[in-house]
Amino acid sequence: MASVHLENINKSFGSINALSNLNLEIKDGEFFVLLGPTGAGKTTTLRIVSGLEMPDSGNIFFNEELVNNVQPAFRNTSYVFQQYSLYPHYSVYDNLAFPLRSPLRKSDKKTIDDRVHEIAKLLKIENKLNNKATQLSGGEMQRVSLGRALVRDPNIYLMDEPLSSLDAKLREELRVELKKIQTDLYATILYVTHDQIEATTMADRIGVLKEGLLTQVGTPQEIYEEPNSIYVANRLGSPKINILDNKQIHNSQNSSASYVGIRPEDIKIDQNGSYNVKIETTELLGAETLVSFKSDTVNGILLTQENINVGEGDNIKIGINETKILYFDNNEQRMR
Amino acid sequence: MSKKLINKARGLSDKAIAWIFITPTVLLLLAINIYPLFYAISMSFTNFYANKIGKEIKWVGLKNYIKVLGKESVWERMQITANFMFWTLLIQALIGLGLALLLNKKFKGNELLTTLIVLPMMLSPAVVGTFWTYLYNPQVGVFSYIMNFFYNFGPIDMIGSSVLAPWSIVIVDTWMWTPFTMLICLAGLRSIPDYLYEAAEVDRASRWQQFIYITLPSVLPFLLLALLFRGIENFKMFDMVVELTSGGPGSATELASIQLKREAFEKWKTGYSSAYAVILFVTIFGFGNVYVKVMNKIKDR
Ligand SMILES: Nc1ncnc2c1ncn2[C@@H]1O[C@H](COP(=O)(O)OP(=O)(O)OP(=O)(O)O)[C@@H](O)[C@H]1O
Ligand SMILES: [Mg+2]
Repeated sequence: MASVHLENINKSFGSINALSNLNLEIKDGEFFVLLGPTGAGKTTTLRIVSGLEMPDSGNIFFNEELVNNVQPAFRNTSYVFQQYSLYPHYSVYDNLAFPLRSPLRKSDKKTIDDRVHEIAKLLKIENKLNNKATQLSGGEMQRVSLGRALVRDPNIYLMDEPLSSLDAKLREELRVELKKIQTDLYATILYVTHDQIEATTMADRIGVLKEGLLTQVGTPQEIYEEPNSIYVANRLGSPKINILDNKQIHNSQNSSASYVGIRPEDIKIDQNGSYNVKIETTELLGAETLVSFKSDTVNGILLTQENINVGEGDNIKIGINETKILYFDNNEQRMR
Repeated sequence: MSKKLINKARGLSDKAIAWIFITPTVLLLLAINIYPLFYAISMSFTNFYANKIGKEIKWVGLKNYIKVLGKESVWERMQITANFMFWTLLIQALIGLGLALLLNKKFKGNELLTTLIVLPMMLSPAVVGTFWTYLYNPQVGVFSYIMNFFYNFGPIDMIGSSVLAPWSIVIVDTWMWTPFTMLICLAGLRSIPDYLYEAAEVDRASRWQQFIYITLPSVLPFLLLALLFRGIENFKMFDMVVELTSGGPGSATELASIQLKREAFEKWKTGYSSAYAVILFVTIFGFGNVYVKVMNKIKDR
């Protein structure tokens, strides 16, 4: 495994700046997750690391060694493509064995066979080994694609939303499995996802991309608790953070702020609370209840673990945990 | 829905409309294809001579078929035809695929080159046959000139020599029809998505592995289809060869179709040549069917 360092990477397609001045350091053995909405440049970043795409400018280092002009095969990355890219004329078995048959690594038949079965078992596609790659469901294709990346031990695993078309249960199992593989092998992984649970549970660090700009890098906790912009605050946390006007907050600590962000779990139903609101809807989420409320001045959502016996249309009082309020300026940047 | 309503309003069902549209074509097909076919089959059981109109036509059963199949010269012509087909198909497959692979690369002038390569295919076979007799001329022909440029062979008589003549028709057919195989292979190559090669590159496959694992299986169904068309065409090959060698020297390039034409319209053995024609038809039909079955198997794999 290797560390990967991207330095001042720029990449544009015509007039679109897919990546602008990207600096990213992925440590050896780190699970790094890239978060960002569609079109943010996540796939482009992976393609540049793999060598399939050339940056317009900037440098790529593997283990502090410049690899700008190294062919993809010699960078030795393994890649789970967003669109699977299975070899359509071959069976699942051959798809999984394909990377092991590369002339750059001479594995004998027995080693290949053992490895393919091991991975197939892990991903629960053992009974599909003889299927043609085109005779699979979307989720099965995705697992084959993941398996094809996991059969070898590359410098870095690049994974582009590898669990996106699986059902919730399987996704959870594979999430645990992937994290276990990563810690066991001390693997370096660059992982793209939209799913924040994946991001927070697996990542050592998260990078948030916005229109080709890396806006913040940090541990999941840092990103969640100390976002440096409203954009980042919105990307992590479910249900989403409440963004309110600073003027509506009673005794605000920061008079020059324009907006405040309050996580739903930092708002409580409280007889002594200073806000009078009306309940719009309630939603039971397992152990917690999601309540959306509204008044003339504030509206938002709160999360409570208590058994509440109020319903839609009821008037309640709420209180805000003032120490947890995040303040943002009029450029939506965090104020500290 | 609305279409149906309109049709109903005129008192015609969709089916009736369909029949109205295809009837002229069906009638035409019956008149110029199906009827002659059955007429020929019925004549193949008689001793009919088209130049002896007054003569009574007698039913002779399978005699014509036995005569055709028992003739040494027929089997010889079949062999010549098979030889011609084997070499033209083999060479056209290899060169066609090779050219397609080259033209599939992105380079400047790619489209112009494709157009130029495809030109021979647009010419009439009779014209091609005639002008290649000039190119093959041993004294002043370009072919002889070029060959002598590499090695001093002396005048090369492609058409006059019974050893070289079969190759002369293979060369001309290849020159004319390789572009066809190439075009179809090119269509196959263009249908392969780039991301497969990208995946293979990341998986550290060699160029050769990429060709074997990705290119070949994708292009094979296309190549086989091209060869099916070429095979059927060359089994019936007539015009180009007649213009070029007239089946000579001796009968070195006399393909089955040329012999058939001579039996039918020079010796006027109509009944006999009908039997010959039916045999040829059944042969190509049988081979064609088997080939299509195999082709579909490969495609499904
Ligand atoms: N080959 C290309 N040609 C032109 N524009 C491209 C190309 N590849 C990507 N882009 C553009 O670059 C930007 C970033 O694309 P990218 O594929 O990296 O997005 P992404 O973050 O992976 O999005 P998604 O979550 O939808 O996969 C987009 O605006 C996209 O339209
Ligand atoms: Mg993408």
